[in-house]
Amino acid sequence: MSLVAALIYKDNRAALEWLERVFGFERRMVLVDSDDAIVHAEMSHGDSFFMVGMEWTSWTKSPAALGGVNTQFMHARLQSDIDGHCARARAAGAQIIEEPSDQFYGDRRYRALDLDGHVWTFAQTVREVSTEDMEKASGLTLKTLPK
Amino acid sequence: METAMSAEAQTRPAFIPALAYKDPRAALDWLERAFGFEVSGVFTDSKGAIVHAEMVHGDGVVMIGGEWEGWAMSPASTDGVNTQRVHVRIAQDIDGHCGRARAVGATIVMGPGDAFYGDRSYVALDLEGHRWTFSQAIKDVTVEEMEKASGFKFSKAAS
Repeated sequence: MSLVAALIYKDNRAALEWLERVFGFERRMVLVDSDDAIVHAEMSHGDSFFMVGMEWTSWTKSPAALGGVNTQFMHARLQSDIDGHCARARAAGAQIIEEPSDQFYGDRRYRALDLDGHVWTFAQTVREVSTEDMEKASGLTLKTLPK
Repeated sequence: METAMSAEAQTRPAFIPALAYKDPRAALDWLERAFGFEVSGVFTDSKGAIVHAEMVHGDGVVMIGGEWEGWAMSPASTDGVNTQRVHVRIAQDIDGHCGRARAVGATIVMGPGDAFYGDRSYVALDLEGHRWTFSQAIKDVTVEEMEKASGFKFSKAAS
């Protein structure tokens, strides 16, 4: 994997537990120091993983310390049953900020806040849409930037 | 390229970071020149404004967008604070990659230097203050060697 995101949390141990229980991610690797504090942790889902980090400098902050602002946020792709994923997350305590709905580009998606206010977009491809149909449905133009 | 987004739909990674910028168009240009990302798709509205864009680096994908909601803000709007970061793995020539980034205007805040887990890496600020880590595996290190060098303990199930 050539690209891995690291999300900042106030309490990485609580984050691991919450993300496992509510979103169904798995612990891939946990690194602890001699006091059993977690210094580095990774969680996986499908073929991909992310890092669970802490507020270890003044420029790394959880959204919980920034009024809910996210400077980056995560887009997580599911293979199946996105509505079931949303229902389980809601039942486990996630705040759903956008209900599951079909998008013009062929995804079905929902958005949820995690324990610290990171915004997660969960998406599943539910149909193939041609560029022409996307443009027609959205009024947008899809292309690469002119060189 | 017209088919990039739909063709990629089946092979896209399970996690795709989405980064907020005050000026997404400038970000696309800068990230290409400084870090070697390639634009894979851009949605523009009738006025030519970028609504959504994606870039690729190896098998990794990032989404580039504006400050489109109150909760989505560039580090340029948060005094440089980052709530999430991206680590990028480079196959070779990490020092050359760093040199190119610096020449284009990236602020190198750490490295390049070797780490106990076998990587050589550097950290750079992009045009709006997102902090990127670039790393290259330069030697294989066993878990035992990493534990010895760092004093840390690896496990999978700390609770």
